[in-house]
Amino acid sequence: MPRTRAILVDITQCIGCRSCEQACKELHGFPKETESKLSPTALTVIEEHGDKYVRRMCMHCQDPACASACLVGALKKTALGPVTYDKSKCIGCRYCLVACPFNVPRYEWSKLVPFVKKCDMCSERQVAGKPPACVEACPTGASIAGWRDQILEEAERRILNDRKYVKHIYGSEEAGGTSVFFISDVPFEKLGFGAPPTERMPELSQAALGDVPTVVLVGGALLSGIYWITQRREEVQRAEARAKSASSEEGRRS
Amino acid sequence: MNRIPKITLWRVIVAIIFGAGLYATYARFALGFAQSTHLTDPQPWGLWVGLGTLCGVGLSAGGFGIAAAVYLLGFERYRPVLRTAVLVSFLGYMSVIAGMMYELGLPWRIWHPIFMWNRHSMLFEVSWCVMLYSTVLTLEFSPALVEKIPWVSVRSWYLHWQHRILIGLVLVGCVLSSLHQSFLGGLYLLTKGKLDPLWYSPQLTTLFYLSAIPAGLAVTVMALHLSVRSLDVQLNPRIFTDLSRVIAPMLALYGIFRAVDLMTHNAAPYLFRWREESLAFWAEIGLFVIVPLVLLSFEKIRNSPQNLYWTCSLVVMGFMANRLNVSITGLQASSGVYYVPKWTEFATSLMVLTAAVLAFRYAVIYLDILPKKASQLRWMANGAAAEA
Repeated sequence: MPRTRAILVDITQCIGCRSCEQACKELHGFPKETESKLSPTALTVIEEHGDKYVRRMCMHCQDPACASACLVGALKKTALGPVTYDKSKCIGCRYCLVACPFNVPRYEWSKLVPFVKKCDMCSERQVAGKPPACVEACPTGASIAGWRDQILEEAERRILNDRKYVKHIYGSEEAGGTSVFFISDVPFEKLGFGAPPTERMPELSQAALGDVPTVVLVGGALLSGIYWITQRREEVQRAEARAKSASSEEGRRS
Repeated sequence: MNRIPKITLWRVIVAIIFGAGLYATYARFALGFAQSTHLTDPQPWGLWVGLGTLCGVGLSAGGFGIAAAVYLLGFERYRPVLRTAVLVSFLGYMSVIAGMMYELGLPWRIWHPIFMWNRHSMLFEVSWCVMLYSTVLTLEFSPALVEKIPWVSVRSWYLHWQHRILIGLVLVGCVLSSLHQSFLGGLYLLTKGKLDPLWYSPQLTTLFYLSAIPAGLAVTVMALHLSVRSLDVQLNPRIFTDLSRVIAPMLALYGIFRAVDLMTHNAAPYLFRWREESLAFWAEIGLFVIVPLVLLSFEKIRNSPQNLYWTCSLVVMGFMANRLNVSITGLQASSGVYYVPKWTEFATSLMVLTAAVLAFRYAVIYLDILPKKASQLRWMANGAAAEA
C-alpha cells in the first residue's frame, strides 16, 4: 500500500484554545462563532469532557463505510489518505450519515439545495505538500500530521514511554483502522468516544452483494426449470386427454 | 354533464388529505427539510424511508408472488387475482418513486445512479432494482391499459408482442423483486454497532425477503376484499381461503427463521428487558406472526373473507412495525435523539397512499382487472348509451 497521510491528536497536550476550529472555519469561509457540536459550518470542534478537550473530526477510515455506502461514488478514499466528497455527484440520500460508524457527516437540513458536509483533511492542501489547516494552527503540537506509518510509530512511542497514557491508540483498529488517531490519559469511553466494530465496515455488506451473480444465475435457472416442468406437465396432460378421447371414440365406432 | 359532485364523507376526507399533503409538499420543496421534517444528523432517515420506501416496497411483493405462482408454477386457481396483484405492486412501486422525490435531498438528480456507478454500494443495487423492476411491472400491467385502445391494429400488435415476452418478464421480475426485497434489509448491514441487537443480524437480507412475501400477499387479500365489498366485483370466495393457506406457512417460516436467527447471534437476553425496544419487538412479532398464525389456524377465519381481511390487516400492521423498528426504533438508543415525525411527513405519505388507493379504485372500475357483477356491467352499458 502506498504511503498515506494521517493526523495524531494527543489529548494530553490540548489546551482547548480552539485555534484548529478557527483555522478550519477561516479556510472554508464559515461564520466564526464557536459551535459545541459538529455541524455543516463546523467540520472540527473541541468538545469539553471534564477538564479534557477532545477534538472531533472525520476519522478518514482506511476502508470507509461512507464511501462503500454512497451509491453514486461521491465519497472516495483518495490515494493520499483523505476521504473526499464530490458534491456534483451527490443526490442527497444521506446513506453516508446512516453508515458512518463515528456519526461524522453532517447534512445542510435548512438549505433548499442541501449537501453533505464533512472534513476532507484539507485534501487539496495536502496534495500541494502543506499540512491540514487545523494542524498548522495548533500552537501546542497536540495535533500533528505526517505519513501514516510514522504517525502510528510516534503514537506508539508516546504511549509506551509514558505511563500516564491509556495503552490504546484510538483509530488503530476502530472500523478497521483510520487515518486520524487519538491518544489519551483518560479512558476513551469517558471522553465520548464510541466503540464501533473493528472489522472493515464495507465487508459487512460485501458478503450479501457478492451473492448477486449467484442469486441471478441459480434463481433464474431454477425458475426457468420450474417453468419448463410446468409446461411439460400441461402438454402431457393435453396429449393424454386427446389420446383418451380418441381411443374412446374408436371404442364406440367398433 | 355539468353536475356538481355530491359532498360525501369520503370525499371530504380525501379532500382534507390532499389539502394537507399539498401544503406539506410546498413546505418540503419551498421551505426545506428543516421546516418539513424532524430529521436530524443522528436520525437522517425517518418516516419517508421507513414507511415510504421500506414498507412501500415490501407491501408490493404480492405481484411477483402471484405472477410466479400462475406463470411459473402453473397454479391456475390464482389467475383471477393475478391482475389485481400486479396492479397493487405497480401502484406500490409508483408510490415509492413518488415518495423518493420527497426523501432525496436533490431529487432532480435521481438519474445519477444510471451513469455514476459504485458497485460496492448496497443502495446502488437497490436503485437499479427499483428502476428495472418498475419497468417490468409497467410492462406486465400494460395489457390492462392497452386493450382499451380503440385502434385494433395497434392493440393486437402490442398484445401479441407483450404475450411473447411475458414469461421472460415474469422470470426477470421474480429475480429483480427478490433481490430488491433482500437488499433493502442489506442497507442496514452497515449499521452494526448502531442498530439494536433485536433487529441487527448478518441475515437481514433473508429476513427482509421472507417477511415481504406474506405481507405482499396480505395486501393482495385486503385489496381483493375491498374490491368485492365496494366495487361490485364478483370473485369466488375460495380464492381467499387458498391465499390464506399460503400466507400461514410463509409467516411460520419467517417466525422460525427469525427465532433461530435471534438465538444464534445471542440476542435472547435483550428479549425480556423492560425497555422500549423490547416492547416494540413484541408488538411487532405479536401482530406479524403470533396472532395471525393463531387466527389462521381456525377454519372459521380461513373460510370467511371478512375475517381474513382483518387478519391480513394485522399482518400488514405487524410488517410495518418491523420496518419502522429497523429504521427508527432500533436506531434510537445509539443516535441519542428521540425522533417523532413532523405532521408534514405523515401528510405527504398519506397523500401518496391515498392517490394510490384512488388509482386502484378507478382501475378496477374502468379496466378489466377483476370480473364484475352483472349489475355493474349493465350500469356501465347504460352510461355508455347515455353518453352516445
